[in-house]
Amino acid sequence: MKAARRIPLMKKMLAQFGIEEERVRLDWVSASEGDRFAQLVNEMTEEIRRLGPFSGNGGKADD
Amino acid sequence: MTKPKIALYWAAACGGCDVAVLDTNEKILDIANLADIVFWPVALDFKYHHVEEMADTSIDLCLFNGAVRNSEQEEIARLLRAKSKVMVAFGACACFGGIPALGNFTTRDEIFERVYIESPSSANENRTFPQTLTKVEEGELDLPEMFDTVMTLAQVVDVEYFIPGCPPPVDIILKVVDLFASGQLPPVGAIIASDKTLCDECERTKEEKKIARIYRPHQIIPDPNRCLLEQGIICCGPATRGGCGVRCVKANMPCRGCFGPPPGVIDQGAKLVSAIASIYQSDGQEDINRMLEDIVDPAGTFYRFGMADSMLKRKSLPQGERRA
Repeated sequence: MKAARRIPLMKKMLAQFGIEEERVRLDWVSASEGDRFAQLVNEMTEEIRRLGPFSGNGGKADD
Repeated sequence: MTKPKIALYWAAACGGCDVAVLDTNEKILDIANLADIVFWPVALDFKYHHVEEMADTSIDLCLFNGAVRNSEQEEIARLLRAKSKVMVAFGACACFGGIPALGNFTTRDEIFERVYIESPSSANENRTFPQTLTKVEEGELDLPEMFDTVMTLAQVVDVEYFIPGCPPPVDIILKVVDLFASGQLPPVGAIIASDKTLCDECERTKEEKKIARIYRPHQIIPDPNRCLLEQGIICCGPATRGGCGVRCVKANMPCRGCFGPPPGVIDQGAKLVSAIASIYQSDGQEDINRMLEDIVDPAGTFYRFGMADSMLKRKSLPQGERRA
């Protein structure tokens, strides 16, 4: 249940970093819900593909 | 034998690190006896050209405080790196970006707009901004270029040692001087502080870490003997390196994280999100929403000193403004 609190807080923080909300998603899937799992992963993949690569554009060291 | 040479410099900093050196009181005379101070803009009248004229690696120890946020600071960082045998990132700004790196939540243009246009004391109808080059009758005037992104010293030049703190405490400064004088400096890359977290060094009574609401420091008078986190005050102790002498917490103020992440932690802010969210008690979405409301500025709180050194380093620049 800690994840249920951590992820919303992290998402609030990532918004301050200007990171698209869709890049992080928390969902719950039971071990018996294979179809739903596949569907969520596909949705997430499509979403990220739509957003394109993330460029943090941080300090010069990592450029 | 000639005395070793020491240089001190301030880049994007408040001056507190230089004051911390002076806080060594009479020990400053020991330092002056031990070594020649060849460059220290805040205290001594040496110019950049004096440093340029020195032979490479002729300075034995350079204590560099402040982050790097403009071209002058970058140039001097490179100059001092070339002239120094040992480069020390001195203080939270040089180590992690510090308070100046909170500017990484904005851009140069936004800062200029705020400072030169929006600020209530500005009357600037012609929208005059600082220029790196200005032609006047007498010739050209130049100013350093301000960067969009504040950097740590180690993101600009190689650094041998890190002395964290805002400012570094006097006992650590004296320890470094002793280690330097006796030739016992630790392996390159060492962070000269404790290897424990602040919580490990804090003597407050710690019981069960469970909080039901969060107080900002001005909303509560905390019990001076009980863990501040357990009283609902955001204290960065769990994800901050110790060695500071627990100065703030002893003054009944929460840790702000100026010693950076402890060993094993890559991203101080992410660790704090994890720590704070996991001790918050919730029975459902309503409680989670209250936590989100209570933590007004998570990024600014959890990366107060560590923005430039964090994994993300800055707020994403708008598309089209990204530098290669």
